[in-house]
Amino acid sequence: MVICIIALIVFSVLGIFSMRWRKLAKEAFDCVFRPCVTKLDQRIKSKLTAKLMKRTPALARFTYKNFKVLSWIFTIAFFASLFYSAYGIFNLITYGSCEPGSPTCGISQTIYVISCYETQIVYGIIAILFMVFLYFGYKYLKFKE
Amino acid sequence: MLDAEKIREDFPLLRESKIIYFDNACTTQKPKQVVDAIVEYYTKYTACAGRSIHKLATKTTEEFEKAREKIARFINAKKSKEIVWTKNTTEAINLVVNSLKFERGEKVITTNLEHSSGLFPWLQLAKKEIVNLDFVLCNKEGEFNIKDFEDKIDEKTKLISIIFASNVTGTISPLKEIIKIAHENGALVLADGAQAVPHLPVDVKKLDVDFLAFSGHKMCGPTGIGCLYGKEDLLKELSPFILGGETVKDADLRSFELEDIPHRLEGGIQNYAGAIGFGVAVDYLTKIGMKNIEDYEKELAKLLIEGLLKIPNLTLIGPKDWRKKNALTSFNVKGIEPQDLAILLDEENIAVRSGMHCAYPFHKFINEKKGSVRASLYFYNTKEEIEIFIEKLRQIVKTLG
Repeated sequence: MVICIIALIVFSVLGIFSMRWRKLAKEAFDCVFRPCVTKLDQRIKSKLTAKLMKRTPALARFTYKNFKVLSWIFTIAFFASLFYSAYGIFNLITYGSCEPGSPTCGISQTIYVISCYETQIVYGIIAILFMVFLYFGYKYLKFKE
Repeated sequence: MLDAEKIREDFPLLRESKIIYFDNACTTQKPKQVVDAIVEYYTKYTACAGRSIHKLATKTTEEFEKAREKIARFINAKKSKEIVWTKNTTEAINLVVNSLKFERGEKVITTNLEHSSGLFPWLQLAKKEIVNLDFVLCNKEGEFNIKDFEDKIDEKTKLISIIFASNVTGTISPLKEIIKIAHENGALVLADGAQAVPHLPVDVKKLDVDFLAFSGHKMCGPTGIGCLYGKEDLLKELSPFILGGETVKDADLRSFELEDIPHRLEGGIQNYAGAIGFGVAVDYLTKIGMKNIEDYEKELAKLLIEGLLKIPNLTLIGPKDWRKKNALTSFNVKGIEPQDLAILLDEENIAVRSGMHCAYPFHKFINEKKGSVRASLYFYNTKEEIEIFIEKLRQIVKTLG
């Protein structure tokens, strides 16, 4: 169910532009508020596992077995990211810098939507995903043997 | 001998896609002949049957009644008027439940293996205190002990309502013996034939069954059409619960005279295209031969069950002996939820069913509260498809189980 919160927000935003996403947003809404009506979270879990199984079975297994924990991590990261983005944008509009007082945090007006904090979080997630990918890539090779 | 590869040429979906369709207990694929017959009705002679007298209506009436005769022949009914058109098996069962006359306090016996369609209508009737409901319980493998029926039946028993072939375990009920016990005690038998009639040669005369309900869409026919077989004298006793067009011979403001059977039980405009398509489906099955279908499906069942039993952490629901089953089985894998397994198989283009399969009491009885995965086969499935299915399932279980 936790993953549906992200799905609800993301699909709601995308739903502004397309009917297809609106349907999914409705399903995500049901998943959050009426969990017995839909199995969206289960479908996300199984579809994700199925895609991963074709590339890295070990990662698929890890994802399947720890889906709840991963859902929580991604949800918390998502909201932290949202908060810091909003904070950065607020600073940018008010003070002209995403982190006033920090000389290293000059940000171009053209990419103002990404705050310093956001950038740091994104770099962090990319690094973690890269390490996870390396680890499971290695395990996959062993699995194939 | 049945040539599945050749047969598949008649099924547009099977011919044109790479899907392995193992959800035949839910509904089957339709051969081109059935689709053509439906299209022909809608494009060449659309009209009402049994009312108007113009050419189109006459043709519709002829085809509609011809379809009824085909169904009657298919199950070896004495007369075509013993076939009543319904929407599906559910409606056929509900027709008996709501039209048969019960004296207050009379007993109906049913089982814990029933599909929702064979249970809920009786529960409703029992709730209204019209009948007393009693149950014979099968064992954990879905098999009945015939003695339990002997013990439960008494002089108050009006009817035994029983599933002919289970849609969860694939087991076949000992219908002939149950009918014998029922008739010796003056009771009637209503059999839910949804999973039996499409797969076995069924002879209602030999069985001596009183009512038999089944659907067209589970035997290559269109959806929305099914029928109730009933012995002529029993159908005449039914008090129709849907009255309207074509159900009466004559009427005035205060009274009406009922039409003969089966029309008195078929209120309003019928599903003509569906019935005609169902007739063609029955022709198609007859041409292949029900005995051939049964034998071929036994071969498939052997391969399927033996393959499944080799997969670690897999629990088979129902008997492990393929001889005791239709080409249908449900199963669970430790550590993987049934819905997940169905989605994972779907990603591999294998269509199976997951969930309760409309058999909540049985799943609770065997303590499978999240339901199960069900693979159900039909005569157009091939041994190669089973091998692919087993291999893909084995891979999933090895990775996630």
